[in-house]
Amino acid sequence: MSRLRDPWPDHRAERLLGAVSLLVGACVIAMIVFVGVRAWPIFEHNGLSWLGPGGNLETQIANMQATSVNPPASAYHLNAWPLVYGTLLTTSIAIVLGTVIAVLSSIFIVELAPARLRKLAIPVIRLLASVPSVVYGLIGVLVLVPFVGNHLVTASEKNSVQNFVELTGAGLGVVVVILTVMITPIMIALICEALMAAPASWREGAVALGLNPLRAVLAVTLRAIRPAIAAAAVLAAARALGEAVMIQMVSGGSSYTPNFSHGALIFFYEPLRTLASAIVDYHEGLGAPALRATLYAFGALLLFSAFVLSIAGYLIKLPLRRYQVRG
Amino acid sequence: MSVYAPQLETGSPPTSKRGRRSSPWTWRWRDRLVLACAWTAGLGLCAIAAAIVLYMGYRGIEYLRPGLLFTRPAIGQSQSQTGGILDPLIGTALLTLIGIGLAFPLAVACAVWIAEYGRPSWLARVVESSIEIVAGTPDIVLALFGLSIFQLGLFAPLSFRAEGGGVYGRSFVAAGAMMSLIALPPLFAATRDGLQAVPEHMREAAFALGKTRIATIRRVLLGSVRSNIATGVTLGVSRIIGDTAIVLLLLGETLHIETQGPVPVVDLLRGTGSTLTSYVYDNSPAGEGAAPQKAYAAAFVLLVFVLGLNLLVERIGRSRPAPSPLTGR
Amino acid sequence: MNRNRRLTRLRSLALAGASAGVLGVAAAPTTALATPTISISGATASYPLVSLLAAKYVKLKPHSVKFKITQGGAQIGINDVASSRVSIGDVSRDPLPSDPKGLVFYPVAKYGICVVTSSANTLSNLTPAQVVSIFTGKTRNWSQVPGATASGTIDLISRTSVAGVLTSFQTLLLEGKKVTEPLAHERPSEGLLRTEVETDPNAIGFLSNYQAGLGKLNTVAYNGETCNRATVQAGQYAGIARFYEVTRGPAQGFVASFISWITKSAAARKIISSQWVPVT
Repeated sequence: MSRLRDPWPDHRAERLLGAVSLLVGACVIAMIVFVGVRAWPIFEHNGLSWLGPGGNLETQIANMQATSVNPPASAYHLNAWPLVYGTLLTTSIAIVLGTVIAVLSSIFIVELAPARLRKLAIPVIRLLASVPSVVYGLIGVLVLVPFVGNHLVTASEKNSVQNFVELTGAGLGVVVVILTVMITPIMIALICEALMAAPASWREGAVALGLNPLRAVLAVTLRAIRPAIAAAAVLAAARALGEAVMIQMVSGGSSYTPNFSHGALIFFYEPLRTLASAIVDYHEGLGAPALRATLYAFGALLLFSAFVLSIAGYLIKLPLRRYQVRG
Repeated sequence: MSVYAPQLETGSPPTSKRGRRSSPWTWRWRDRLVLACAWTAGLGLCAIAAAIVLYMGYRGIEYLRPGLLFTRPAIGQSQSQTGGILDPLIGTALLTLIGIGLAFPLAVACAVWIAEYGRPSWLARVVESSIEIVAGTPDIVLALFGLSIFQLGLFAPLSFRAEGGGVYGRSFVAAGAMMSLIALPPLFAATRDGLQAVPEHMREAAFALGKTRIATIRRVLLGSVRSNIATGVTLGVSRIIGDTAIVLLLLGETLHIETQGPVPVVDLLRGTGSTLTSYVYDNSPAGEGAAPQKAYAAAFVLLVFVLGLNLLVERIGRSRPAPSPLTGR
Repeated sequence: MNRNRRLTRLRSLALAGASAGVLGVAAAPTTALATPTISISGATASYPLVSLLAAKYVKLKPHSVKFKITQGGAQIGINDVASSRVSIGDVSRDPLPSDPKGLVFYPVAKYGICVVTSSANTLSNLTPAQVVSIFTGKTRNWSQVPGATASGTIDLISRTSVAGVLTSFQTLLLEGKKVTEPLAHERPSEGLLRTEVETDPNAIGFLSNYQAGLGKLNTVAYNGETCNRATVQAGQYAGIARFYEVTRGPAQGFVASFISWITKSAAARKIISSQWVPVT
């Protein structure tokens, strides 16, 4: 009688479930295809040189916005180096800072913290990871940016760059600080797991040989989980690349390339723009065909980078299985 | 000390009561420096988290009146005239429903297929990799993808067709569909891990009783991974609530929820509106923002939701009893 | 067994019917029974005016049309209406030769472009040469501007390139030169420009006369002429620009009714005269 209420034979169920899974896979392929097709005009006109410097990006985008119907081929000219530079700058600084802080914090959580503090740390990390990026952006633009603009940037610093750019407090420094806080929890989760799964006998052997406990961890366990740290950094880089809304809120929205020769401190006060934040900035202009192709080209580049980073993270995590370290 | 007997247990620091633990005062200054840095990093992160929660709490209590939760937003000159956050709240709830409603069957079906069937294996690898790709895609790219799909003429019924024939492409359905892509990876991973953790003997017992594979899945396995699915759903909801980029591009950003026509449910789905996240963005100095007070209030509500979901995940995780050796449940 | 199979078949038929019904209703285009929608997008400077006009129109003729108004900048309005994404584009500058062909510009109001500083900086007057020199980045410090009570670097606040007010400002008050970039801090809307100038004592920017009168700002006279509604009406102020409603081809149907109501009816004229000047 039970077969009456389970009328589905196995092969039909398998085929249905397989079709649904195939649908999901097809969605992803559709995403790559659609974004690529929409981005093609930029690649067709510029080759890969649209990633490089040359020309004034703001003029080029204004030109794109002004030619909304049947734009001439010259409207597709693009040199988006300020954006690529901004993305690379923010991501790399945030990753470097984040890795250092994440490793130190993970050592703290796993090795040094008393038990009560350790139990507190896990919800704290999960909290930091789940705060929405718009809340980070709000705190940044209402608290950090005025603080930097009014209290940290001195008048003489503003005067020294007055012929190049305006320092309002919104810029590289605030972006990097908030981005680091956003990506560190991701890395901590992975590194803690790896630290706890690393064989304890190795560290105990080092202690038996006379190292103090902390040095034993640094010398032995940390080296053993290097692939996990690399995988965590790669994963965090993919997250940092794609952060659009928070960066748009606190970066000052200017397609300017921060110039280190202005001075190290001023370098961090200068505004910038990244690929992802540019998409948010210009998304209202999607009606102009040339600008639409540009924004999709930015999206295609972000998609490609995230894809490459995911593969890299997967490949890095492969040898971890040797040490039975769950990545 | 267990130097001769190799252990594979997961490590806690060696707390043998025999022998003294070396005091940090005897270490080299380099190690003491690292110790200090590690403590600073750990406590610093806790301090930052506390600062965020306390500051948003302080601002939220300062600016959020309970009446705001039930008043509709309005266009006004000063902050006392701009109304409340009812429409953004409804928008958030609606998007979450649509997103989870679309993601749930897809994710569970994929997870079941990968965990239980998974033939041909190249297809299984493709599907798993594509879900990983979706998980790693920035949400702004998903929003662009959504725009490119929903502005096709084919999908004009799902939003609004302007006078001269251009498809608007922004509606609750459009945003909800992309939100389901956001919620899919955590739900899929949680369900798949849960299914893979179910011991084999449960399946074998069901087969021995004559049940088909699909019946085993329906009646036996899905019941035992209920808490995994609940965790996955909660994680997915938390991600949907916190997402801004998709809402900015795909929801039309009108202050009130505007239905597309007279038909009750369907034209609501085709309509535009706002969510808590886009409301916070629009009222901050980055949007049209003359209303930081309202932005703080909405951000506080958002944070409360996210914290509540976090607690829920923890509660579900803790309430999962250890599987007994007999029943495996 | 037959009964169960029949029940299952009935259930699946009912489900298919219901979903077909839902899809059918969803796919039905907005019929004549539903109120037509006029979609408008474009300049942030004319958004307050157009919102007021639309609200009054709906109050006077209920259930005749619905409005969907968004902002984005005059150029966005032109792009949207040229590609038929919206029915009307709000534009705050005169037509340019680079605009797409086939667009029809209907002037609806005149407004003034005022140079503004923060209320802490009581600068009273600027000559045209001074305005050009400041906004093109030649004068960079308030100490070089006589009459200014601010000190330090001049913070230039401007609009993004899609703004019609920017184009009008450059044509009318800047002798055709362009505001220097990237020095100038570009804001995407009038409201945001106003907020920035209000909060930065060293800032200087330009706004429509309506926005300049809203906040705690100091409006700077241009060449001895103050910038307010009265001087714009009298034609004495130099920076007088126009708001246009733009359609693709001549306006037709309910769009045409709305535009002719704006340009001809007394109620619309009263709304325009409150903060702006009607195009007589």
